[in-house]
Amino acid sequence: MPNRKATRNAYYFFVQEKIPELRRRGLPVARVADAIPHCSADWALLSQDEKEKYADMARAWRAAQGKDSGPPEKQKPVCTPLRKPGMLVPKQNVSPPDISSLSLKNDQALLGGIFYFLNIFSHGELPPHCEQRFLPCEIGCVKYSLQDGIIEDFHSFITPGEIPRGFRFHCQAASDSSHKIPISNFESGCDQATVLQNLYRFIHPNPGKWPPIYCKSDDRARVNWCLKHMEKGSEIRQSLELLTVEDLVVGIYQQKFLKEPSKTWVRSLLDVAMWDYSSNTRCKWHEENDILFCALAVCKKIAYCISNSLATLFGIQLTEAHVPLQDYEASSRVTPKMVILDAGRYQKLRFENSGFSHFNYSNQEPRSNTPTGDYPSGVKISGPNSSVRGRGITRLLERISGASSCEAALSPSLSPKGGYKSFSPLS
Amino acid sequence: MAGRARVRARGFTRSPSASEVGYLQASPTPVSADPSDNKASSSSGFEDTSRISQQHKDVMSSGNAERALMKRGGKTFPDVMDLGVCTREKLTHVRDSKTGSSGIPVKLVTNLFSLDLPQDWKLYQYHVTYMPDLESRSMRIALLYSQKELSNKAKAFDGAILFLSEKLEEKVTELSSETRRGETVKMTVTLTGELPASSPVCIQVFSIIFKKILKKLSMYQIGRNFYKPSEPVEIPQHKLSLWPGFAISVSYFENKLLFSANVSYKVLRNETVLEFMTALCYQTGMSSFTQMCEKQLVGLIVLTRYNNRTYRVDDIDWSVKPTHSFQKRDGSEITYVDYYKQQYDITLSDLHQPMLVSLLKSKRNDVEARMVHLIPELCFLTGLTSQATSDFQLMKAVAEETRLSPQGRQQRLARLADDIQRNKDARFELETWGLHFGCQMSLTGRVVPSEKILMRDHICQPVSAADWSKDIRSCKVLSAQSLSKWLIICSSRAESMIEPFLSCLRRVGSSMGFNVDYPKIIKVQESPAAFFGALQKHVDPDVQLVMCILPSTQQNYYESIKKYLSSDCPVPSQCVLVRTLSKQGMMMSIATKIALQMTCKLGGELWAVEIPLKSLMVVGIDVCKDAFNKGMVVVGFVSSINLRITRWFSRCILQRTTTEIADCLKVSMIGALSKWYEYNHGLPARIIVYRDGVGNGQLQTLLEYEVPQLLSSVTEASSNASSKLSVIVVRKRCMPRFFVEQNRALQNPPLGTVVDSEATRPEWYDFYLVSQAACRGTVNPTYYNVIYDDNGLKPDHMQRLTFKLCHLYYNWPGLVSIPAPCQYAHKLTFLVAQSIHKEPSLELANSLFYL
Repeated sequence: MPNRKATRNAYYFFVQEKIPELRRRGLPVARVADAIPHCSADWALLSQDEKEKYADMARAWRAAQGKDSGPPEKQKPVCTPLRKPGMLVPKQNVSPPDISSLSLKNDQALLGGIFYFLNIFSHGELPPHCEQRFLPCEIGCVKYSLQDGIIEDFHSFITPGEIPRGFRFHCQAASDSSHKIPISNFESGCDQATVLQNLYRFIHPNPGKWPPIYCKSDDRARVNWCLKHMEKGSEIRQSLELLTVEDLVVGIYQQKFLKEPSKTWVRSLLDVAMWDYSSNTRCKWHEENDILFCALAVCKKIAYCISNSLATLFGIQLTEAHVPLQDYEASSRVTPKMVILDAGRYQKLRFENSGFSHFNYSNQEPRSNTPTGDYPSGVKISGPNSSVRGRGITRLLERISGASSCEAALSPSLSPKGGYKSFSPLS
Repeated sequence: MAGRARVRARGFTRSPSASEVGYLQASPTPVSADPSDNKASSSSGFEDTSRISQQHKDVMSSGNAERALMKRGGKTFPDVMDLGVCTREKLTHVRDSKTGSSGIPVKLVTNLFSLDLPQDWKLYQYHVTYMPDLESRSMRIALLYSQKELSNKAKAFDGAILFLSEKLEEKVTELSSETRRGETVKMTVTLTGELPASSPVCIQVFSIIFKKILKKLSMYQIGRNFYKPSEPVEIPQHKLSLWPGFAISVSYFENKLLFSANVSYKVLRNETVLEFMTALCYQTGMSSFTQMCEKQLVGLIVLTRYNNRTYRVDDIDWSVKPTHSFQKRDGSEITYVDYYKQQYDITLSDLHQPMLVSLLKSKRNDVEARMVHLIPELCFLTGLTSQATSDFQLMKAVAEETRLSPQGRQQRLARLADDIQRNKDARFELETWGLHFGCQMSLTGRVVPSEKILMRDHICQPVSAADWSKDIRSCKVLSAQSLSKWLIICSSRAESMIEPFLSCLRRVGSSMGFNVDYPKIIKVQESPAAFFGALQKHVDPDVQLVMCILPSTQQNYYESIKKYLSSDCPVPSQCVLVRTLSKQGMMMSIATKIALQMTCKLGGELWAVEIPLKSLMVVGIDVCKDAFNKGMVVVGFVSSINLRITRWFSRCILQRTTTEIADCLKVSMIGALSKWYEYNHGLPARIIVYRDGVGNGQLQTLLEYEVPQLLSSVTEASSNASSKLSVIVVRKRCMPRFFVEQNRALQNPPLGTVVDSEATRPEWYDFYLVSQAACRGTVNPTYYNVIYDDNGLKPDHMQRLTFKLCHLYYNWPGLVSIPAPCQYAHKLTFLVAQSIHKEPSLELANSLFYL
């Protein structure tokens, strides 16, 4: 009997809500189970955000069921298919702890903070009934800080292992349409255990706390699955915390402007084509074969985007490590609009600390502190809105750097102790 | 490849609509080349795997028609689903008559045949239950069919539902039968319904009947169509054979049940996979053989002639040999060699060949797909490789056979009708059901008057509406911005061609009123990265246009240029292939074409037609799946922004869904209305929306989901009298074909032929319009269905307006098959789905930057 004892999912609540309407249409629906066939089309039409509402209801229900309904880790996406990010752990509920602690620190700590951007490519995605959902074939990782740009990078091809019988075409087609790494007879691959070991050594050379790792939200399910899969094959067990770059951007933006940027803005910030061909961005193999899809390039381009649009706001002089400079000179003309946009919005919402309330509810992990909404308001503010005209990045930089030094003087007293931890694993 | 200046100096062999190209190009899969596509499939080597899998699915879901009915779990066919949507009854002005009257009447022959039924004909639907219950469907069927009571009745049975043309005496009939094992099985046949001939279920039963009939004419179903392997057309010089066949359907038109048939061909290669492998082995040698083999074969569609089924090669299993055994469905083990001997009486010659693996698609996604092993020796390659499609001679040979003239088509149809009437089994089948196969239908259409083309200071009446490029050669275009600051990026190899081309372009430009200054020429190395670097370095927002002379058709060049110039740095761009410029003799026409495109990209207007309706906004919407990210759907929205309908506002939105139903129309519509307001200081009195890209069975969703979005944005836009809205669904693929008889021979109907009776549906406000010329083959009429209409235009006016709009596509100086806004929307979505993969910048929305 459906949903009597089993868990109720988001769809259940959607169907439940639909039942009165279906009855009005004269359909004989007594229970949710009867209504399910009539609702699937409508459900498919809902956007991810709309679905989120029902997912929340389901989550609330599960919480109300008590602990015996299964620990929340169970819902972590081990085998969930890609492109259902909404079904994974709710995005903002997981990532905030770090960002909230982040937003309480002063700029200096943020600027020095180390982030890792990770991406793993796969030979396509196999259908949900398969045990093996992905075939990892390339990994790229970048160590980055706002201050220093890309500090180190890591790249390796992975031997994907045996392709499940019958899926050769599927994998081949998927690979041909993107990274074009051959599915067999490709010598440069390393075996999965070695790659994982190297990756861990790269991310975490010294004992201590593990740093958070970021990847784009679209790739998250895949990267997560591949990491878990590779762990299974090797001895090492280390649950990495995989967060989304989008949330990181939101966090940094809030740190600077005390408000949340729009989703579209974040997406457009991260999705630019201008560095597609920049030198020293792709791995050697992809560069030589002139293929744009490269796991390392994805990570590096995230770093470039963040440098280009966010690091500049903190008054950092961009170096070769931040963006490929020869392209930057030419392209900076193209993107001044971003700064203008911020200034206008910023002014409106100057004293609202809406960004903080957003994080308050979601602290699941014990180590994160409750953020206090107390931010040194007004100190660094006079800068941006008058100075941004056209490409005036340099002028902006001057203003901001002046402001942030002020702020740095103020903030240590306000920053909670926990805040540093997640960011400075190396110090 | 969409936006590249495909300069065709000669000929209108194909109408400039690219969706059909996409269909034909489904790279190795174009298993059926429908001759009615009056266009050569120009290959650009892009791959459309979704189409392949789609076709694959079709193949799987076909097979036995009865099973298909059952597999669908009682759900009706999508086309039948649309029939239940009655839109006409809500449109008061066409409730009584939806036919127009203007134009010259013309007598048309169709590919429709009437099917006559007795007045009181009824279909009786029974439900059959078994006691004890039987799992096996074939067993269920065998037991029921062995009954005497049913033996001489016309029946169709899928294992649970039985259709009879005659009523059984009792409402509930108890039957019993004995299986081979000696078990007695009781069957209860219960009457569940009496259906009149107009019921949608009857249509399904009729198509099942015709499937049976065609099988009796020794035609085999492959995919959805039926082919006759016994009469192949051989093209020996290319190792190809074509199986002739038909696509058929039975449905209710205006007041009659009609059977329609279209000629179709299946392209087969006379080469088995084993032969292919052997040849490959000689070519490459043993060392890299397996690798090459996998590379070449995986993904191809093969046909096994013993059962005429198609499969996709998903993998090659080198470890299994024909002498290995496998488990049959009943559990017994048998070797492949013995199996083929027993089942099909085929002896395998090579016992060491590897096996091909194919995954059978299951209907439900979560169930594991079933794998089948196929013997290479018995698998024939189908379709054409991309190598073959780029072979001009080969494509010409195929086209000669498949592109039937109206006359040839008529002969084939007549022969099919003859066969159905003469064949004893077929006639018997029809007679037991009480059907009578009637004669070919002819009807009266109308030819609407031709249009004048308005240029800047000249009104021209083109000689042929199919192509007026000659008529406007010396005329000035309506408006054109002069081009003063622009760039040409080219490789140093192409440098020598630039000078003659530029002078030609300037000369042509000045004669059409488009002023072209000398550009800044940037020479770069021959690599995508170098081109891209040059763009980043030299393009700034002041640049009006960038022209890139591409050294090859390599996708990378085009994609990176378009991607950068349409979103990161919005500047109109024009890509031209070096190869195009090297055609010396055609330089004039090439330059003309490019100049016209560039004018449009800068926001110019080329020509207009007279449109009497004042304050009319026309909108075209098309939907396309993203080629890279399958979960994304690209929705293109193009609307006119001036009274003359010469300037357009184009917007494209990506949405994450699986259905091809647009979500975001409100945003686009409101944007379009505000743009209109900006230009005209008021809102349009009438809005007419042409919606293309609607699949079968989506009509209801469209009506419930898209029309309200449009309506609400229109009403929200103004507080008092809001604009009146009409929504028209445009469909390029439809069953009917029309011919005119001239000098005792059949020909294509003249341009502007409208059919709005007899071949239309009673429950819709619909019509056919022939607005494209086919110089070879048979023309496809375009089908229009007005699903929502506040405007209350007379059918005459609606038809003529639609015809006028077919003149306004600026990429082709002639008529196109669908209204211009639709064609623009299509072009836009195609560019975004193939190359850009994200929303183009709104700064470009005022010009036709995607032409």
